[in-house]
Amino acid sequence: MHIKRRLLITAMALGVFSATTGLAASAATIAIITPSHDNPFFKAEADGAEAKAKELGYDTMVLVHDDDPNKQSELFDTVIAAGVSAIILDNAGADASVAAVQKAKDAGIPSFLIDREITATGVAVSQIVSNNYQGAQLGAEEFVRLMGEEGEYAELVGKESDTNAGIRSQGYHDVIDQYPDLKMVARQTANWSQTEAYTVMESMLQANPGIKGVISGNDTMAMGARAALEAAGKNDVIVVGFDGSNDVRDSILAGGIKATVLQPAYQQAQLAVEQADQYIKTGSTGLDEKQLMDCVLINGDNASKLETFALSN
Amino acid sequence: MIRKTLLALCAIAAFNLSGCKLVKNLPEDEKAVSAGASGDAVRTEQRIADTFEAKLLPYVRDKALGFTAFRTALAGGLDEAGNIHGNRGSGQGAAWNFAIADEGVIVAAKLDTRARVADLDVDGDGAADMTIQLGPVIRGNALRDIAPFYNFDDFRDQIEFAKLGRALNDRISAEVVLPDGDLIGRTMRFTGVVPLKKADEKLLVTPVSVEILP
Repeated sequence: MHIKRRLLITAMALGVFSATTGLAASAATIAIITPSHDNPFFKAEADGAEAKAKELGYDTMVLVHDDDPNKQSELFDTVIAAGVSAIILDNAGADASVAAVQKAKDAGIPSFLIDREITATGVAVSQIVSNNYQGAQLGAEEFVRLMGEEGEYAELVGKESDTNAGIRSQGYHDVIDQYPDLKMVARQTANWSQTEAYTVMESMLQANPGIKGVISGNDTMAMGARAALEAAGKNDVIVVGFDGSNDVRDSILAGGIKATVLQPAYQQAQLAVEQADQYIKTGSTGLDEKQLMDCVLINGDNASKLETFALSN
Repeated sequence: MIRKTLLALCAIAAFNLSGCKLVKNLPEDEKAVSAGASGDAVRTEQRIADTFEAKLLPYVRDKALGFTAFRTALAGGLDEAGNIHGNRGSGQGAAWNFAIADEGVIVAAKLDTRARVADLDVDGDGAADMTIQLGPVIRGNALRDIAPFYNFDDFRDQIEFAKLGRALNDRISAEVVLPDGDLIGRTMRFTGVVPLKKADEKLLVTPVSVEILP
């Protein structure tokens, strides 16, 4: 125990020494850990972080935890053993991730969280998250407007272990429930999955043929729902998603899905790397730990400016 | 020592499981409020009780610019105007929020909706200069975000932070009373908050007070 601590202190002293003399710059590595890149959103995060890290002269270790807290814990052991300078993390569970981030902190490695919050403060250096609630309110306001404040609708909910599924649903209902003529006739999870959303939407339609709108917790489920609606000849049903993916952008431009909400994933990951760089060099980011990023409504007016989770001016 | 206390607590816990439950009666104000989501409502109510009348309303009234002064300030750039007169909501890309107090003639109104609005001509050119939200549904979080004393870091998460925004909107919405009949052509005096992400954005005012002049 004592030896370990001394070693750490020595290592830290070396770190400080080499940082000040600039020798560490070429060897320093930033780990980037996210959910699976199968979802383009997480791919955009990893790409954004990697591009910024390289630009700032760091090596990178890009890893995926597949939303499995055990795997995430193992990845943390790996990157701690590798002696990375910082960890950029989109975590695998708000509660379950606290211990992993603490483990890195105890080893002297700062973590910078993006996209999802964890349930403790003072463990990570930064938690930069999209204001999912604000984004959901934007999407819901557009949904209400498109629905003309009335009619039957269904909700597709995300994966329950992901805090953002609940936050978005609450944000939707915060707005929609203020309109008594909007009646939710079905609400079910499709676990962020396009194929699952297709099946869920089919059965929702069979039970509730009068559905006029679908509000979805993310874009992949919105795509699945839209496909099921088209297959059933219900092209005029209003679908609103969340994330701002290129697939949904194309659907909006083709007159399919009506709206989505952009999370600036690419920019967010870059910001996290900038803060990690600042912290590595100065020992502080100079910013609050918890930082929100506002989401942006995407509809027919601005969809053409959207590319890979970033909006051009 | 700690271990012994722990063991003792475990023993007590185990004993309790065997059938009898000890319930300590605390006076109402000493009852612990859950730090989790179940405590949000109580904390939000307390925040409103502590700050709405005592801090928020005076803050908005004190900071409020007339429409002409607001436009002049904005002409020098949004960030400049914001740094002097406004407050930025938490986080990247959040809007600047400005307090405005003035009066104008209602040139349009949409009242057959849950989110009622009136368009005001303030500078007398016959065209609408801004839209005033009249509830019962109030959009956005302008009332929360104008106030430097509501800081995101003091909240458990974005849900609790959002609940305060909604509670402030509901509080103000309940106080908006409109007279019967046509509003077009009548004069409205208001104090409220405008959020702006761009200098040329349309002005959407969340009021803290509105009054239709006779």
